[in-house]
Amino acid sequence: MQLQYKSQAVAKPYFIAAIALFVGQILFGLILGLQYVVGDFLFPAIPFNIARMVHTNLLIVWLLFGFMGAAYYLVPEETETELHSPLLAHLLFWIFLAAGALTVVGYLMVPYASLAQMTGNDMLETMGREFLEQPLPTKLGIVVVALAFLYNIGMTILKGRKTAISIILLTGLVGLAVLFLFAFYNPSNLVKDKYYWWWVVHLWVEGVWELILGAILGFVLLKITGVDREVIEKWLYVIITLTLVTGIIGTGHHYYWIGAPGYWQWWGSIFSALEPIPFFAMTVFCFNMVNRRRRQHPNKAATLWALGTGVMAFLGAGVWGFLHTLAPVNYYTHGTQITAAHGHMAFYGAYVMVVLTIISYAMPILRGREVNPERSQVLEMWSFWLMTVSMVFITLFLTAAGILQVWLQRIIPNPQSFMAVQDQLAMFYWLRWLAGVVFMIGLVVYLYSFFAKDKPQTAEASEAQPAAT
Amino acid sequence: MPASPEPPAADDEAPPGQGLAIAAESLYLVNLLLLPGLAFLALLWLYFRHRDDAPPLARGHLRQTLSASLWAGILLVIANLTIIALGGYDAPWTWVVVILYFTAAHTTLIVLGIVGLARALAGQPYRYPLVGKLLP
Repeated sequence: MQLQYKSQAVAKPYFIAAIALFVGQILFGLILGLQYVVGDFLFPAIPFNIARMVHTNLLIVWLLFGFMGAAYYLVPEETETELHSPLLAHLLFWIFLAAGALTVVGYLMVPYASLAQMTGNDMLETMGREFLEQPLPTKLGIVVVALAFLYNIGMTILKGRKTAISIILLTGLVGLAVLFLFAFYNPSNLVKDKYYWWWVVHLWVEGVWELILGAILGFVLLKITGVDREVIEKWLYVIITLTLVTGIIGTGHHYYWIGAPGYWQWWGSIFSALEPIPFFAMTVFCFNMVNRRRRQHPNKAATLWALGTGVMAFLGAGVWGFLHTLAPVNYYTHGTQITAAHGHMAFYGAYVMVVLTIISYAMPILRGREVNPERSQVLEMWSFWLMTVSMVFITLFLTAAGILQVWLQRIIPNPQSFMAVQDQLAMFYWLRWLAGVVFMIGLVVYLYSFFAKDKPQTAEASEAQPAAT
Repeated sequence: MPASPEPPAADDEAPPGQGLAIAAESLYLVNLLLLPGLAFLALLWLYFRHRDDAPPLARGHLRQTLSASLWAGILLVIANLTIIALGGYDAPWTWVVVILYFTAAHTTLIVLGIVGLARALAGQPYRYPLVGKLLP
């Protein structure tokens, strides 16, 4: 099977890089999980703070690779025209990959303070904040790559057909680039610092990234179900409206205890309590489209990933977010393992799974066939269940650890210290680590599925079965 | 891989009883999410009002949602009260079990309701696993 537009091929290296970095992220996750219970594991080679930084930064970078790959794949089909500049897309790929790799090597090889000195943090202090730890040149590189990427995608959309999917995707990508600029604003006032820091972190994952998620999911569902574009677009409008209405003011749930005005406890509680609604709608959307499908697409694995995205995003971002979002509850749960539980399942359910959905749909076509062979799909679906079920267990064990942590640290009459409590959570951390190992096994199965071929059929079996149509 | 047979095309005309089926699934979800008790009473009223004269699609959804709602009451209210009564209000492990159990059970029931609602929106029957009844 040939690509509809030749320039879609630029998506392939983006997807391969995304998967490679995903493997790195999970390896560092396993190291971290072990460091929770064996404190000096790999110390001083990889201290906990460095491993955590690599784990979270790799997640962000590989998801960005996935989003860019998705955009390069779906925009030509949606706009019915070739990409504005495939060459620019290739160039940006290597720049972004080199910047990402150098950053991780920097984290691992150079003490963080020295890295800050070496990379000009004195000129413009942007380092040292959670998730935005990247050195200044990396941050500038991200801006350059994002702008050039937006130029390429924007020009393609401008010259071609405009669809709701491509416009929503572009809106999300513009938002992603614009909001990242707040990574350069680092006021000395700690309240203001945290206040604007959330404009990057929260408004990415609970704002503009959801637009990208909706567009990618809408595109894949359109392709695999054959449902009318109008139906899918109507659902997308509803989901995107709900996302922005709840998500933007929902930022307030991060302002409860940072020194921001008290009214944020009301605004944050009310609007973030509504944040599960778009995820609820997204789940109904996915199941509704599959139920109303007009054709049975042979890529069963992609359908499974799409349905899984709806359900797991609702559970991780919606339910586990709601669990601790109301100010009176958050007063006790803030910054505990309950937050970690929410973070793990929300990122996996919403963003990891949507990138794997588009990879599952697009990668076979990028490799010259409509779908993967049967055995390959079976392995991919095994990897889906292994990773998804283990992520559910990771979340449950972290939630259990969080509940006990809240009780021992913040509820009982004589609260215990943080480290005294950590010792008592060891059993849950071990269980979480074991679930993480199963996740890694799922990821290995996923990788293997790309290389699996159908077993050659015997002559008798071939005669007994009708030829594929 | 051979292409599977084409599923029936989604009909633009709503099948008989679809509105009622959607209402039943919506009330089941509202009972779990927004107005526990009140939405159940509305579902109960809808069930008794239409159980004999509703088209098969609506009757199936009404039965399923009523049955699942009754199970939800047992699983979410009675089971949790029992855990608290047995474990003690002041024991940390009681709360570990209660919160984990409640969240897992409640979420599972909601996801089943979402699938049921999606089936109703597509004009198809749905049988809730474990907590539903057999369709006629």
